[in-house]
Amino acid sequence: MTTTITLDAAQDLLHREAHLLDTWQFDAWLDLYLPDAEFWMPAWRDEVSTTQDPDRELSLIYYRGRRNLEDRVMRLTSGHSTASWPPARVLHLISNVRIARSEGQIADVCSAFVCHRHDTRMNRTDYVFGRYEHRLSFENGNIRIARKKIILLNDVIATSSDIYSV
Amino acid sequence: MALTDYIDDRPADGVFRVNPAIFTDQSVFDAEIKAIFEGGWVFLGLSSQAEQPHDYFTTQIGRFPVLVQRDGQGELGAFINACPHKGARLAQLRQGHAPLHVCPYHSWSFDSAGRNKAIKSKRAGCYSAAFDQDDHGLARLPHFGQYRDFLFGSLTADVPPLAEYLGGAVQLLDLVADQGEAGTELVPGQVTFTYAANWKLQLENCSDAYHFTSTHPSYIRVLERRQQTFSQDVVASVWENSDYWKDDATGIGGGSFSFANGHVLNWGVFGVTPASPLFEQAGPLAERHGEAKRDWMFNMRNLTIFPNLQIAENASSQLRIIRPLAPNLTEMRTWCLAPKGESAAARRQRIRQYEDFFNPTGMATPDDTVSYENCQMGYGGGMSRWLQGYARGMTASIAGGNRFGDLIGLGPERSVLADPQLCDETLYHSYYRAWANRIAQELQA
Repeated sequence: MTTTITLDAAQDLLHREAHLLDTWQFDAWLDLYLPDAEFWMPAWRDEVSTTQDPDRELSLIYYRGRRNLEDRVMRLTSGHSTASWPPARVLHLISNVRIARSEGQIADVCSAFVCHRHDTRMNRTDYVFGRYEHRLSFENGNIRIARKKIILLNDVIATSSDIYSV
Repeated sequence: MALTDYIDDRPADGVFRVNPAIFTDQSVFDAEIKAIFEGGWVFLGLSSQAEQPHDYFTTQIGRFPVLVQRDGQGELGAFINACPHKGARLAQLRQGHAPLHVCPYHSWSFDSAGRNKAIKSKRAGCYSAAFDQDDHGLARLPHFGQYRDFLFGSLTADVPPLAEYLGGAVQLLDLVADQGEAGTELVPGQVTFTYAANWKLQLENCSDAYHFTSTHPSYIRVLERRQQTFSQDVVASVWENSDYWKDDATGIGGGSFSFANGHVLNWGVFGVTPASPLFEQAGPLAERHGEAKRDWMFNMRNLTIFPNLQIAENASSQLRIIRPLAPNLTEMRTWCLAPKGESAAARRQRIRQYEDFFNPTGMATPDDTVSYENCQMGYGGGMSRWLQGYARGMTASIAGGNRFGDLIGLGPERSVLADPQLCDETLYHSYYRAWANRIAQELQA
């Protein structure tokens, strides 16, 4: 049995993640992540480069450990965050998927994304776009996410943004 | 409308009310831009943003682009960031290093002291003598001043000296600047966001102790969960290690100080806790500055230097620059502020705490900014009835300071010492009295 992650399989996982976020299926979304997964959206250091070292430079979001994503989901679904309810309607479109590096059961996958957002509260529609860099790992017959880096290109945040809307 | 139609300030009657129109009217907004943002001292940035000779950074005062640069001798200067030739914006980057700025439009060039160095094809240009008599250098801001690491400028010549403008509030800047022996810096990575509401909502929210347990219960629950199920993956929070802010806490928990010209502080007792990235310096800070001042550095402190600088030291440490774009649109530029030279572990902790709480992609700020937008929607077209959010603490506010401020010699105009549920709102009065003084003439014009 092969453990190499194919382009088809990688693409399928990325599309699945997008769908789970779009439809607020956060428990299933969390299941995609390994317990020690890294989730990282760097800030921009200047006009041309993002921050590179999350321990010495600021990120928009940085977590090591799925536990932190569980905290975020808890807040989002708690009913105690005015920014999170009613939720924005979002739709992720993912394209240009390619495997940048593959070694054993690990694959580094690059993709491009647009996340459209409709905020019903303000009757306001906008979008963010950028690149994803996923590190996928084939574990016990499933592909799971070891690392997700979100390079947000339009980084002037319109009011707020959360893990499901980037 | 007269000023009294906007702000109903009658201390003798125990009344302070605000007309929602101050958040919605275009005429008020225009007056604010002219009289406050372009009519007096505003914060520009930190001196460490242009550390070395020929370093520069760019910013904005009201509608005008500003260039702050250090010349070859290391002297800082502030200029309108526009070429005198055709008015094109000159320096294009937020921050950089340039012994010479060459305008990308027609190649006029300027040194880092703002002097014109060359006009392309000058001799062939058949200029008149009158042109030669003009100064072709960059326009200097009428006023530019520095207090410690903090740089301020004014587009208007008729302003008090910076020291007089800041007054006693400089001691609150000292509490920031003195945390590191080598000064203060911005952690790399600027975060900018906008919200669809008036800039004064940000001004107020920073000073608003009343909203914390109402606006941020989802964040508080995350902290509780982190305490219950310890994991080394999560960052400690200074909120967990203090309880002055809780709805059932008792005793003196903090309060507010108001200074002339609209500078205010609200504060709470945090104590010297390992959850603070300053903890490793607790001993040395007490040695250098005394225990009282050291303890004040550890306290929760939200400072506004009117009109556009806020330094929030609560869950972590944030520097914010507020920029009004329209009556119902505001830009916030934000940074993690840190003492230079802190350890790698402390810096990491500061950054993690910051991201969770302060980022527009974090777990607290979105609930604030969405609330501002809810306010803006609630105001509708402006005046329907007076707002009632300026009344808490009315009978607790006293002239002068109190025993907590006295420990470090603070000399405010007014202060409130409070139990945790008081949540003073009279500190906003200081904002609006300064605001009213500044825009009175402009509104009548």
